[in-house]
Amino acid sequence: MHIVVCMKQVLDLEKIRIKPDTHEPVLEGVPVCLGDFEKNALEQAVRIKESLDDVTVTVVSVGSPKLNKTIMEALAIGADEAVILVDPHVNGSDAMGSAIVLANVIQKIGDCDLILLGEGSTDEYSGQVPSRLAEILDLPQVTYARELEVLDHRIRAVRDLEDMLESVEVELPALVSVTQEINQPRLPPLTAILKAGKKPLHVWSLEDINASAEEVGTDAAVCEELSNLAPAKPRKEMIFDEDIDSSVNQALEALEQEGVLDL
Amino acid sequence: MDKVEVVIVGAGLAGLSAAYVLADAGVEVLVVERGDFPGSKNVSGGRLYLEPVRAYLPGLFDEAPFERQVVKERLTMLTSESSVTVELASDRFRSSPANSVTVLRARFDQWLAEKASEKGAFIIPGYKVDDVWMEEGRVAGIRSNEDILQADVVIAADGVLSFIAEKAGMRECHQPRNVALGVKEIIELPEKRIQDLFGLKAGEGATQLFFGSITEGMMGGGFLYTNQTSLSLGMVISIHDLMQKHPTISPHDLFELFKKRPEIEVLISGGHSVEYSAHDVPEGGLKSIPRLYAGGLLVAGDAAGLCLNQGITLRGMDMAIVSGVLAGRAVLDARQKKDYTAESLGIYEKYLKGSSIYQDLSTFQHMPEILSNPRLFEKYPEVASELLLEIFRVDAQPKQKISRTVLRTISRELLKVDVLRDLWHMRKI
Repeated sequence: MHIVVCMKQVLDLEKIRIKPDTHEPVLEGVPVCLGDFEKNALEQAVRIKESLDDVTVTVVSVGSPKLNKTIMEALAIGADEAVILVDPHVNGSDAMGSAIVLANVIQKIGDCDLILLGEGSTDEYSGQVPSRLAEILDLPQVTYARELEVLDHRIRAVRDLEDMLESVEVELPALVSVTQEINQPRLPPLTAILKAGKKPLHVWSLEDINASAEEVGTDAAVCEELSNLAPAKPRKEMIFDEDIDSSVNQALEALEQEGVLDL
Repeated sequence: MDKVEVVIVGAGLAGLSAAYVLADAGVEVLVVERGDFPGSKNVSGGRLYLEPVRAYLPGLFDEAPFERQVVKERLTMLTSESSVTVELASDRFRSSPANSVTVLRARFDQWLAEKASEKGAFIIPGYKVDDVWMEEGRVAGIRSNEDILQADVVIAADGVLSFIAEKAGMRECHQPRNVALGVKEIIELPEKRIQDLFGLKAGEGATQLFFGSITEGMMGGGFLYTNQTSLSLGMVISIHDLMQKHPTISPHDLFELFKKRPEIEVLISGGHSVEYSAHDVPEGGLKSIPRLYAGGLLVAGDAAGLCLNQGITLRGMDMAIVSGVLAGRAVLDARQKKDYTAESLGIYEKYLKGSSIYQDLSTFQHMPEILSNPRLFEKYPEVASELLLEIFRVDAQPKQKISRTVLRTISRELLKVDVLRDLWHMRKI
């Protein structure tokens, strides 16, 4: 069985600072990492690999040259090999462009039974790529899976529909997007991190996957970013500096008044 | 069990310099860093003296992302209501290559990590090492949770609190007297404004050190370094004095009072605080240096207590780099002999003792005693500012001769036993 996990390289959201005067995020110099939701997808793939015989896991990603390094974490967590597409023409792709590139990569990889993705990306969270990709590849799709088990040539999944859960079974090959509830991703041990560098890493460009630059990137994007601002959140700047007991009570009261706590 | 040749704990300047030297010589080297990226947990006041390190890593720092070349030095004595500043500006500071530069560690350490990676070092951030791994009575690797990684040599470059050095028995638990607490804020200001405030051209930088009433009689002081688009402003206070003299004062409260001083307020007004950090600083000098080597283990940088507070120059980063390089060279020697015993690795101490940084530590070994004198922070700034206030002031009454004012101050304030004793002690530095 061959599982392909699609992962996105995103800016580390915890490291993004908001300019206090303009509310613009400072994106320069922010380190990149693999998206959180995709780590759940990868963890699930590795768990399937560990529970069944003859499972290989390939991780696929599209992005900047930094991917050469970023993708090592996926290999350390347990993917067998990685295919990364690094091409300046894919910069600025919207969900459609990303799905087209991923579809081409997966088609070139060939034989694949299960495709796993996160429910959405940590940065933009449009949640569109899994469905678009399934459509292009003409595969059955199961989105928002919070449970997933592999049966013989089939999968059984529980979908999270917010007010209800839906249990589904699908024939393989299929595409599944997972939610964070599905598992707790592992931290790879040092020795696994060391070995990651020795696993196969394939670096492709658009030429390698026969995709044209016109279909992807900023020019092909139908979505246009008009503004990107953080909501204005003035600080309350309340300081309680009496003795500890009354300060705690005052802090609790203030939190209740703000509607943060319900005492 | 997996094995590499060298594991370096800590991707600061010591660890990365050692990694650079070793990887450059083709050694398989792994750097493990607790922070999310090299530099993320590292705090320095902000100035690197380049002369002591240049010969050790020739050419490497030519393209480094420094903030500004320091061309202006200020030293300010503060009393509760006055300040006296000495400023040194010189064209000699403008010569190339620079004598000293300001740096921001998040940027500089990442750059150095890149350079070490390019040479082949493997750097793993976000990973905490729990202990050294011992075999047959010598260090033979590291342990992190259940994970054991064997190595011929471990270099402990894990900073001032180095629990690797402590766990390996290289030193006792830290004494409060040997450690100071630094609090630092990075305040963003437009590049042009920084230049105007300090009278600098583009790329030029200034530094300012402060001592006096701001530390309430405790050993320590304030510092200010100009970066490209920010100021690094902070205070360092002896932990011993904080415990003994003012156990109820918190350093960040003192720092807030420091920031409200008119001398500082005017500089930072309109700026945005973008980073606030605190860090311990080794200040014990030569006497607090631990054992530097053992079988399979070397200690470098802050972990080895290699820091020198000379009152007007504060050094640590240059010493970290030099000790890292020397640790790397010692490993290369040991590797050639395939002998990683304490005896073989002891060459590191020889290298270090032959270096100018160790000689400086030795020359200024009495500095900590001199600088812990409370009169330095209370009495002397007071006397200096009173004298100058009198000299500069013009009153309705006739003024006395300057020579008379000076002599009177000297006889009244300075011809005293404790002052003369202080002077006598200062011969040691």
